[in-house]
Amino acid sequence: MNYSSLLLDKIQSQASSKEISWVEMKDKGSLQSLQTAFVTVPRFISKDKIQFTSPINEVSFDNWTLDRLVRVYLLTKFDSSDKSSYTKAIDTLFDTAENNEAVALISALPFLAYPDYWILRATNAVRSNIGPVFDAIAFENPFARNHFSDLAWNQLVLKCIFNDKPINKIEGLAERANQELATSISNLAHERWSAGRTIPSQAWRLVSQFMNDEIFKDIQHLLSFGNESDRMAAALVCTETDFPEAKKALVSNEDLQLKIANKVFNWQKIEN
Amino acid sequence: MCQKHSEIAQNPSHFEGSTDELKTSNEIQSYYTEYIKGMKFFDPHIHMTSRTTDDYTALIDAGVVAIIEPAFWLGQPRTGLSSFKDYFSSLVGWERFRSSQFGIKHYCTIGLNSREANNEALAEEVMEILPVFIYKEGVVGVGEIGFDDQTPAEEKYYRLQLELAKEANIPVQVHTPHRDKKKGTELSISIALEHALDPGMVIIDHNNEETVEGVLEKGFWAAFTIYPFTKMGNERMVEIVKKYGSERIMVNSAADWGISDPLAVPKTAALMKIKGISDEDIRLVTYQNAITAFAQSGQINVADFETPMIIDQSLKFNGNTVLRGGQIPRIEKDSIIIS
Repeated sequence: MNYSSLLLDKIQSQASSKEISWVEMKDKGSLQSLQTAFVTVPRFISKDKIQFTSPINEVSFDNWTLDRLVRVYLLTKFDSSDKSSYTKAIDTLFDTAENNEAVALISALPFLAYPDYWILRATNAVRSNIGPVFDAIAFENPFARNHFSDLAWNQLVLKCIFNDKPINKIEGLAERANQELATSISNLAHERWSAGRTIPSQAWRLVSQFMNDEIFKDIQHLLSFGNESDRMAAALVCTETDFPEAKKALVSNEDLQLKIANKVFNWQKIEN
Repeated sequence: MCQKHSEIAQNPSHFEGSTDELKTSNEIQSYYTEYIKGMKFFDPHIHMTSRTTDDYTALIDAGVVAIIEPAFWLGQPRTGLSSFKDYFSSLVGWERFRSSQFGIKHYCTIGLNSREANNEALAEEVMEILPVFIYKEGVVGVGEIGFDDQTPAEEKYYRLQLELAKEANIPVQVHTPHRDKKKGTELSISIALEHALDPGMVIIDHNNEETVEGVLEKGFWAAFTIYPFTKMGNERMVEIVKKYGSERIMVNSAADWGISDPLAVPKTAALMKIKGISDEDIRLVTYQNAITAFAQSGQINVADFETPMIIDQSLKFNGNTVLRGGQIPRIEKDSIIIS
């Protein structure tokens, strides 16, 4: 599906008439002139925050600046009929990208043709230590959910947890939860606890459906030694899981059970 | 580096202040920062890819809020185009991000340095990719380019890059040679004029007492590198500001992989303060002139470093939230405990 016209509508509702005419002058160009336009966007388009938007293609545009939106739009105008020249033009942009360009390129992945071709770019963004580049693939971007293998997906989620970033902003977090990831979270917690450190409480929301004896020990540990939000997380996990021991644990922690019954506890409260 | 100590004795430092000033400057070594409290600095020439995070911490602590990193050589020649491409890309990528983690705004200039201009086959390839980089956000000029050995190849690529800067309408940061400096500087100036560059768009770097007059006379910006042993000392710099004033003069550290001092700009400001140079002249020479010159690129928005840093929680890496709460995590350097 081509989202160009929806993106252009959004630009038209946010940009000045001068900016709109620049965009409309540039968006019909050849691959090469679109490449140049992509790079020069900040010279002609402001960095104003986009206001009041609804998602397009599951991309929500929260906290996006106008220049980022225009760059994504221009990328949707690259002629994709010849795969080799199309991918070459965009690869060049990736290889020479300044940070804001890299963010726009990664944000545009759900809109590009030949999604499989871009998987390495997406997993490299997960490997990036440049915060905004990592965030562009991790948050409010459906590309990872739609195209990542379990291995790549788990790396993305674990790196978020490791870096204390908000996993609740990952598209597809619940639906792609898996046993391997639950075990990795448990192992990460063990390492942290050995070092006298912790993991963000909301990470435990990913273990509810994959409870086993090992992970249950962690939940008991949280109930006994965790801080307030750890105990809230543990109680929520016990509510969500079918694991019989967990139900018993909840009964023996009446205060927590009561708070769950009264809906005092929910995951939103402990999102970081 | 000066290795003949006998020569030092015969040629004492160029400190030409009064006895009182000499006494003061000897006494304030350990607390020079007192003299520059509340001042902001802009270092328009520093090679941060060669420096550690300790240096970033020291820079922001000393009041350096923004820097320019010119593209240069790596201490050894590159062997292929990809090395250049990755280096340029790191200047607008990783290094820029790394700097932001310490609350320092990072700009760069992009160009083919004089030494590597002598590898003509590679230089040709580099020239082809330069246009991709010089139009990028935060690229405030073509640099550092110019002469080193003053060979025909250096001249050829200096001229080509002057044309590139003229076309892009961005400033040029010109490196002047260590050897035969005066001739090299004069040649750089005359070639720039021959190519009809506006002298106001050209920053001639690494000046000294011998070159400054010719540079200022022709309307160019004169940058001075405070670099131990081989370039300017800051006592000499103070004398230059006393003599020539603050118009079109700027100071930088050019700190790199050699024995150099990333705090050269704030230290020079402190010395100027001690030696009675006015606050306004200090501000021009260590901050404003560099901004005025390089902002002609259209790529410097002073609000990015003059307003208090907005703490962006997305800017964190490796479990390190450098900017959390606005505080850089400190390592207690003398502590044996690492936690």
